Amino acid sequence: MKCDEIREKMPDVAAGLIAATGDESKHLATCDACAGKLAEFRQTMALLDEWQAPEPSPYFDVRLQARLREEMAKPQAGWLQWFRRPVLATALTLLMGIGVGLFFTRGRGIYNPGPDQSIAENFGSVEPGSAVSDLQALEKNHELYADFELLDDLQVQDDVVANP
Amino acid sequence: MDRGVLMASVGSQPSSGLSPAMAGMEFSDAEVMLRVRTGDQSAFDYLVQKYRRPLVGFMYRMARNTAAAEDLAQEVFLRVYRSRETYEPSAKFTTWLYRIATNLAVNHARDTRHERPEVTVSIDEPDEDTGATFEVPDGTLTAEQAMVRRERLLAIRRKVEALPERQRLAVIMHKYQQMDYKQIAEVLKLSESATKSLLFRAYETLREQLKEFV
Ligand SMILES: [Zn+2]
Repeated sequence: MKCDEIREKMPDVAAGLIAATGDESKHLATCDACAGKLAEFRQTMALLDEWQAPEPSPYFDVRLQARLREEMAKPQAGWLQWFRRPVLATALTLLMGIGVGLFFTRGRGIYNPGPDQSIAENFGSVEPGSAVSDLQALEKNHELYADFELLDDLQVQDDVVANP
Repeated sequence: MDRGVLMASVGSQPSSGLSPAMAGMEFSDAEVMLRVRTGDQSAFDYLVQKYRRPLVGFMYRMARNTAAAEDLAQEVFLRVYRSRETYEPSAKFTTWLYRIATNLAVNHARDTRHERPEVTVSIDEPDEDTGATFEVPDGTLTAEQAMVRRERLLAIRRKVEALPERQRLAVIMHKYQQMDYKQIAEVLKLSESATKSLLFRAYETLREQLKEFV
């Protein structure tokens, strides 16, 4: 066993996430440098333990519920924003065009909806799993996925600065 | 970490009752999230109960105060809720959850970079910044010992805070969220070996800079 192999596992061992294997224990028993390093890591970990985080406050759940209700109260909020996003707006317009086209084609042809069924009823509700609902879901998650790009961003930053 | 036993009868940790369909069965969080997708509100409540404490803790150490930490943790849950319809269990649930949390925390840190309030704490008041009370239950600490302890706490917090962003995230996830290399690597989109060396460097820096307090 080489010193390097055991050293890279030291943060996990010192944090108590994993135990040293038999081979590693043997090495630690005979290598003062590694044993000393592990002891240092353990001291640092013990020190870091002192930094405790507070429990969530009693208002946490209440406030979260309120924010969730707010969230549920604006189900169609995404609609207007679509038209501000060129790509989505184009896609939506296209879909609507196709939808209207299909409706009238089918209306005149084989499929004829009953006389009491209006256009408004047909377009009023969005079927789950339809192209429109997929677009809605896409829009809702745009924010989330846009944020994920930030993680890629992190990699650009270098750590050299703080660790000379 | 991902696999929680959902027992409706089991008390405290996730304490919310699940729908009868789920009670008494074992589900992974990813499976619970798929229940949220079908509109099961109790499944969402379960995830909130299970992760509120770790997320508030994570955000507390990333942000600088308790109020912001709670706000950010709530925002994570709102985003989880918002994306329920498109959630795909391709990654471990906690990886996905911490990716959302990490993004929010990093954004917040960048937005508030210039607000660095000087920490003022008195010995017997809970510290706004660290959230800790410096009073010791059995009262065995003298005022001077309490002062030393306070200094040490502030130093720990500041040194962790001073680490480069990715190192800080890695240390917080590793030390305080008990996440392993593999998971941290997935959240940060790094290789496992890069994560190991990142953590190693971070702890080396902390050890060096906190030497006087050991
Ligand atoms: Zn060695």
